[in-house]
Amino acid sequence: MMKKSSYIRYVSAVAASSVLLGLPMSLQAQPAQINQTVFMDGLDKPWDIAFLSDGTMFVTEKCKGLSVRLPDGTVNNLLGMGGTEGYSMTADDLFCHGQAGMNGVALDPDFDSNRTVFVYSASRMGDDPATNRVLRLTVSDDFSSVSDRTDIVENIPYKQAPTDHPFGDAGAHNGGRIRFNPGDGFLYVTTGDNHNSSLPQFGDNLGSKVLRIDRDGKAAPMNADALPDGFDARTYTYGHRNVQGIAFHPKSHQPIITEHGPWHTDEVNALVPGGNSGWDPRPNMAGRGDCPDNYCGYEPNQNDGMDPNERRKYMPMTDYETYPDAMKPLWTNNNYSQGISSAAFLEGEQWGDWNGRLVVSFLGIGFGDTPVGQRINVINLVPEGPEIVDNTEMPLSAGPARFRGLVMGPDGSLYVATDEGQIHRFTAE
Amino acid sequence: MLRILMCAITIALTSTALQAADLEAGKKLFANNCAQCHGPKAQGMASFPSLAGRDASYIQSRLETYRAGERVGANSGLMIPNARNLSDEDIANLSGFISQIGK
Repeated sequence: MMKKSSYIRYVSAVAASSVLLGLPMSLQAQPAQINQTVFMDGLDKPWDIAFLSDGTMFVTEKCKGLSVRLPDGTVNNLLGMGGTEGYSMTADDLFCHGQAGMNGVALDPDFDSNRTVFVYSASRMGDDPATNRVLRLTVSDDFSSVSDRTDIVENIPYKQAPTDHPFGDAGAHNGGRIRFNPGDGFLYVTTGDNHNSSLPQFGDNLGSKVLRIDRDGKAAPMNADALPDGFDARTYTYGHRNVQGIAFHPKSHQPIITEHGPWHTDEVNALVPGGNSGWDPRPNMAGRGDCPDNYCGYEPNQNDGMDPNERRKYMPMTDYETYPDAMKPLWTNNNYSQGISSAAFLEGEQWGDWNGRLVVSFLGIGFGDTPVGQRINVINLVPEGPEIVDNTEMPLSAGPARFRGLVMGPDGSLYVATDEGQIHRFTAE
Repeated sequence: MLRILMCAITIALTSTALQAADLEAGKKLFANNCAQCHGPKAQGMASFPSLAGRDASYIQSRLETYRAGERVGANSGLMIPNARNLSDEDIANLSGFISQIGK
């Protein structure tokens, strides 16, 4: 049961949201009773989660690797990164730095027959420049080991060296979420711009993109029909900044993504094939001059606070003037950038009116007096299309955290990986 | 001999700073301003570094550097505005508290 004080605060928050949205309370969804508990603790930067129907849970830890928690609570370490011990397989080429490391995990829709798991990780092979890769592995029948590593994507850009930008270390803007779309059966892979202005609007690379590929890493055949000439055929959409969340509408299966904003304007976007998200941080265009290290992503004032609206005018997250056909975001977080990190859809009657709603998580980041905003938003989209009816917040009876990865569990609870090293469980009653 | 003397002075200064620090005030400042990025145990999260195990003089030096608007490290753009309004007392309290975390 939610504590009474938490419930009162929550109802107040819903009421406040109603006022802000200009909607009468009678049109607002009634909240379920929601408990937030710590399901796992003591992890090292957990990043993503994937479930089997019996509750078996795969977890990535950014600097350690892939593990699996069995329904009886046993944890088996499967794929370790360089320098780790105690894993059934260790891959010395896998490494972490800054935002990069082992990020997303996805289970094959036919896992019961093919035992296949996919992970997204930074990799450095010999003297070659580091990249991000998507790895395919086979899980043993007893979940004690993995084998048959096959790298189905080898060339997702990784930021090689520090630059003069906020969060400017190597490994920045690294994307990393991977999910299968139940509608078309393809694997979607989200990537980032690496603080490199030559990636988003150019199709000769896999940065700043959402990819749509098959189990072997080959392009979905219909991708090319919607893409500009010369684009890598694995591309589904382009012109993104840094996409860390993707989920699929329960009815239409349209991909919905979360995209980190540049000191302003986190975005929720509904993707269309071949769509351009309109991010183009190149210098000396769209009214801009030179920028630090040829990347205008935090301009016009990257080191000091200023009104996010003024930032937006100078360096828009979606540049409609240059790209009139760019995808229009569903939501722009009231022009704030607060670390929008992941997305999922609530499923099950236990969620009451929230069944089918989109949840998006925030790490929380404040700059120049902007609010930090650690939270999970609950967004009501119209049933058949990408339009928002209502937007409220998940009650946090156990408190806020840097919410990194959201996924629905087979028990109907929402599971959330936090940078603090925990997996939280939100259960509706 | 000179080296030993310098070490003794450093230890004496550090001890004095710790004794002078209001750890409760430092704890409150840390919880409200630092923990959301560096972690509740200063263990480091995401691309934000661990502060656990750092001594007070290191934390104090870094905060004074950021307060002065000088860049050091990849996240200077975040730290400079965060440190800008800290008083000497705030920095002493934060440095004292952070250096005690986990001990």
